[in-house]
Amino acid sequence: MTSAAQSRTTPRSVALDAEQKRALRNLRLRRASIYALAILIAVWILAPIWLIATMAFSTQADVYAYPKQVVPVPFTTATMDFFLNYAGILDATLNSVIVAVLTLVFSTTIAVPAGYAVSRYLFPGRNSYRLVILAVRAFPIVILAVPLAVTFLQWGLYDKVYSVALMHTALTLPTTILVVSSVFASVPVEFEEAARVFGASPLRAFVRVVLPLVLPGIAASAIFTFVMSWNEVFAATLLTVRNRTLPALILYTLNKSSLQFQYAGGFFMLVPSMIFIFFIRRYLFNMWGQITK
Amino acid sequence: MAKRKFNIAPYLLILPSFIYLVLFFAWPMGRSLQLAFQKDAEILPVRTAVGDDMDVVGYLPMQIEVAITDRERSEETLPNGRTRPVYWFKIAGESEEGEQVEGWVNQKYLQVQSRTESTSARVVSGEGTQEWTLDYVKRMVNDHNFMDALTTTLILLVLILPIQFALAITMALVLQARLKGSTIFLYIYAIPLGISDLAAGLVWVNIFTQHGFLNTFLQRLGIIDSPYIFLSAENKHWMIVAIVLAEVWRATSIVMVIVVSGLQSIPDEYLEAGQLFGASLWQRLRHIILPLLRPSLQVALILRTILAFQVFAVVVALTGGRVITVLAYETYRWYDPGDSGFNNPHVAAAYAGFIMLISLVFSVVYLRTVRTQEQGAST
Repeated sequence: MTSAAQSRTTPRSVALDAEQKRALRNLRLRRASIYALAILIAVWILAPIWLIATMAFSTQADVYAYPKQVVPVPFTTATMDFFLNYAGILDATLNSVIVAVLTLVFSTTIAVPAGYAVSRYLFPGRNSYRLVILAVRAFPIVILAVPLAVTFLQWGLYDKVYSVALMHTALTLPTTILVVSSVFASVPVEFEEAARVFGASPLRAFVRVVLPLVLPGIAASAIFTFVMSWNEVFAATLLTVRNRTLPALILYTLNKSSLQFQYAGGFFMLVPSMIFIFFIRRYLFNMWGQITK
Repeated sequence: MAKRKFNIAPYLLILPSFIYLVLFFAWPMGRSLQLAFQKDAEILPVRTAVGDDMDVVGYLPMQIEVAITDRERSEETLPNGRTRPVYWFKIAGESEEGEQVEGWVNQKYLQVQSRTESTSARVVSGEGTQEWTLDYVKRMVNDHNFMDALTTTLILLVLILPIQFALAITMALVLQARLKGSTIFLYIYAIPLGISDLAAGLVWVNIFTQHGFLNTFLQRLGIIDSPYIFLSAENKHWMIVAIVLAEVWRATSIVMVIVVSGLQSIPDEYLEAGQLFGASLWQRLRHIILPLLRPSLQVALILRTILAFQVFAVVVALTGGRVITVLAYETYRWYDPGDSGFNNPHVAAAYAGFIMLISLVFSVVYLRTVRTQEQGAST
């Protein structure tokens, strides 16, 4: 520890001996190589997105051209227009938004009280409840989709936008509960108690003290719920026939659709997710950190 | 955690979530097993005396010959006020379990030559019931796509997971180095968290298709002279490569996030101590970081494995689902009422149950392996 501390506090004016110079050079070299690696990984993630964006904003001739160029010149929205004007795409987009918003509302409304209970109360059965939630979280949606589709068919809920939302809520609820409980856990219980000491009712203490502090975290979790629902394709495909969500429609028409349609569709699905992830990026690690415990 | 005396409040707070999960999780789970293992059947209830509300003495299976030992004629009033004759027969036959059953049944369940004279009849209908069966499971296992789907899913798992974990740990360590601009890297590395499997599949179609970017680059570099058709039925291995790359691209971020939060819980002193004693990066990784990361890696491993058994849209986007098939696609194909599907929810449910089973088996194996290692280490 001491040698490291000393080398760090060595004043610049003091001449470095050869050993120190070499160490410094090694350090810079290491830093540079880590940078190179970081950029390489970033390119690995961004390049495919750039390439599909290029296609989404190229002319039809360029979409089918070979060899390909990596910038959309001439730039055109014709391909995106073609996709958005394709029969049913706008309706499907609207369906997707409705499903995702309903899922967000259902999931958050049910998860907030549950998350509060798990983070604030020590009650018999708390650990079992947490365990159940964790187990449910890990379960494959593929298993739920088939019986729910059959049941919804019997109940007359089949091919309805809200039935997809009910399904997606089952999918997102456990994650949302865990995330919300971690958000509550980050607000010290003493804040609430202090408000109570000064005469606030439990509800008032919650609304005036806790809620403002947890709101950003809960909003982040709600956005993540939205993204999960927006992206979900398997259950949405099984549960709908005419009222398809966007991913379900794109998947269903995949075998008959042109490359133009597929690239524009792929890009169109990517954009909202990228924007939302940008807004909640600071919360992602807290969210998933909690889930691993 | 401050409140310790018994309190009903927490139970009321978790109640809605509990009810929801019972309705939309536990119940469909049971229904799924029922779909996979039960089929609709008909059996004929035989009664102690004439009348639909009489006690049932036993049940007879369909399509057997029964002896008529007695008959009784009664009148039935139709909605229009007229009456018509209705016969009840006392019949004797052998049940599925081989027992002799004798009692009364309505004529509508039987096929008789003459209602007044015949001494035997055939059982033609009965009441709907459920019977346990392995038919759907057999149908799944004997389907020629089953082994293909299972092996492809497992091959993908074996190929994807090691790459994914190596890359995720690298990404996490790069972020942990706290470079200038690391928040930008953090965002970029997190982007795939929000990318759907379908979108990811389409992104990689753009690269691997015949007139796509991979061929463009390879030709520019002079490796090939004309575009190579990667995604064709003759090139299954290239399809696998494309799926692996798309999955690594899309689903590594989630492992990375779990590893990063695991790294954050490792005290800095441990790493500094390692550095102080001159341990190389590899030594620190091998002897300090990885052992301390084990709980996080275990969680990520279970999560990724379960997700790998559900790989679906990436495969459909890149291969159309026909040349290369996976378990989730077979589930979809058996359920789908459209042109490519068989519209048999029972076999689809059998597939779903199978996916659940292997997910459970793998999770238990992972948990046990890690636990025995820990026990070994502590003794």
